[in-house]
Amino acid sequence: MADRGGERGGERGGERGGFGRGFGRGGRGDRGGRRGGRRGGRQQEEEKWVPVTKLGRLVREGKIHKIEEIYLHSLPVKEHQIIELLVPGLKDEVMKITPVQKQTRAGQRTRFKAFVVVGDCDGHVGLGVKCAKEVATAIRGAIILAKLSVVPVRRGYWGNKIGQPHTVPCKVTGKCGSVTVRMVPAPRGSGIVAARVPKKVLQFAGIEDVFTSSRGSTKTLGNFVKATFDCLMKTYGFLTPEFWDETRYVKTPFQEFTDLLAKPTKGLVIEATVETVEA
Amino acid sequence: MAEEVHLGLPGPWAADYREKADHYTTKIGGVPDWPTGDMGIKPEMLQCSLCGTKLCLVAQVYAPVVKLNIEERIIYVLVCPTPECGPRPQSWKVLRVQKCRNVEQTEGDGDELGQGTGPSSTSVPEEQIDKNKSHDINDDDFDLDALAEALEQAATLASNSKKKNKSKCANAPIERPVLKEKPADLSIPVLPCFYIYYDKEQYRVKGAVGSSSNEFPLDKEMTDTGNYEEEKWDGEKYEYDKAIGADRTFLKFKKRLDAYPEQCFRYSYGGKPLLAATKVQDAGTCRFCGSPRQYELQLMSPLLYFLHEAGKGSSNYGPSNWTWLTLIVYTCSKSCCPSSCGGRPCGCCWDVAEEEITIQEDEAV
Repeated sequence: MADRGGERGGERGGERGGFGRGFGRGGRGDRGGRRGGRRGGRQQEEEKWVPVTKLGRLVREGKIHKIEEIYLHSLPVKEHQIIELLVPGLKDEVMKITPVQKQTRAGQRTRFKAFVVVGDCDGHVGLGVKCAKEVATAIRGAIILAKLSVVPVRRGYWGNKIGQPHTVPCKVTGKCGSVTVRMVPAPRGSGIVAARVPKKVLQFAGIEDVFTSSRGSTKTLGNFVKATFDCLMKTYGFLTPEFWDETRYVKTPFQEFTDLLAKPTKGLVIEATVETVEA
Repeated sequence: MAEEVHLGLPGPWAADYREKADHYTTKIGGVPDWPTGDMGIKPEMLQCSLCGTKLCLVAQVYAPVVKLNIEERIIYVLVCPTPECGPRPQSWKVLRVQKCRNVEQTEGDGDELGQGTGPSSTSVPEEQIDKNKSHDINDDDFDLDALAEALEQAATLASNSKKKNKSKCANAPIERPVLKEKPADLSIPVLPCFYIYYDKEQYRVKGAVGSSSNEFPLDKEMTDTGNYEEEKWDGEKYEYDKAIGADRTFLKFKKRLDAYPEQCFRYSYGGKPLLAATKVQDAGTCRFCGSPRQYELQLMSPLLYFLHEAGKGSSNYGPSNWTWLTLIVYTCSKSCCPSSCGGRPCGCCWDVAEEEITIQEDEAV
């Protein structure tokens, strides 16, 4: 165990240097401890970002200001730099690096699987899983995948609507493999009542109080984490009475920022005021 | 599988978007540099098949094939500039212009312009140019190109005056048409123009294992996680990359792009294209010789981004409505000459062949 931990540390240290990635920047001093994750310090790389997709071009130009505009139209986000630009306070943390082995004729082939959770502790969270032959590559890839999968988390109240939302709006449950995780609204001050691993995800999501209950083989922590993440994704999928009003559709960013109708798109084009989604 | 892939990286912008270079230059946008003034191209080849507007040049790539011993070979990618046609695949056209192989005659034959072979340009694909140095090299060669142009123009003037003298002296004053350079056709819109320099793609699995000197903040964390050894992350197996919005093919595409984020096109004669989506159209066969088509080069999204940035502010601008991720060009695997003088390759005339292009779209739009 100890030597595996040591190897992990060595690889992680190397990963820091490796993040320079050809832009020539080695150790960047502005990164704090890994606990807090890496923040900021990426402006130079973002300036060099050449967007690939149309959505990326719109974000680069600054035509899209909030990530909620992307969530509203369920547009697929294909570039992680989009998320970096739109959600500035994103922190990341490596939850686990575990070796996975495959039996080949020439022995066993070991690869490393990294689980990374990113979040801004204020309603956005993402989870990334990546396997690679080296730990540094796995961590780097997992961070990118986590950013690509950032989702909004809906928070609500347990009782009186005083102050800011602090818990999940209703009972939701998520499933992955055999593990199901159920989240139940909790009164203020309860804290996150969950196992250590999903607690981390919930902290990154910005949920302050919640009761959880899990079922299934929670020993498979990979599935446990994914089940928690699935549960958080469902918070905005739950139809509550606030959403009973008729939806007023808005133009998608592609339609809004183009001069002419190039192609008929699938979305509706009724322009109206934006509907505010209250907690 | 290790084929070499050459990347076309952006070089300097042209001072004037309509400036002419020679047909050995690889560039994006601008005016197409045909090898001879009068190519004999049928006008409908240069027109959009949907709306009939004259096509404008997107990319001109000097692409000799060493294996088949063809040195004079250029590929032109053309598109209809109107915003409505741009996104449709039928408005894109690829022309392959090459001299019939076999003879290496001097070009002075039918060529009044006296276009000599240009200085060895930066665009020889097999060269491995160091990225840092290539800016300087490109600047120098760019000046040489301009110098060559100036020399050509001077030669033109000289030959024109000589011709007039000759025709006076000759007994039968045949009215020879003076082939001046055609005045720049200002009616066709022209895309912003910049030049390309080549670099070989060095793609390896990046395993940056640095020193363990910056271990300090990690030690604390490791002791923390050491306490939780009773958590066993059991039963983990290899998992393919998955993201909510992007599939595995696109993630691999993006990874290659991130290694060289400014690549405008990828060139690999006969190699495998880098796909952005798994659905690929069949390339078909060459319509002249029937041999199968093979992949040669593909245009990449950063090119679109650069054109878009350069054209910002101008209305009715074609590239603003393009949404493709990559454009894959397939050419005849034998690089055939569709026409030859009297059935035998003569080495004096230029052949124009139309090739196939497929678009891989960003389907989110």
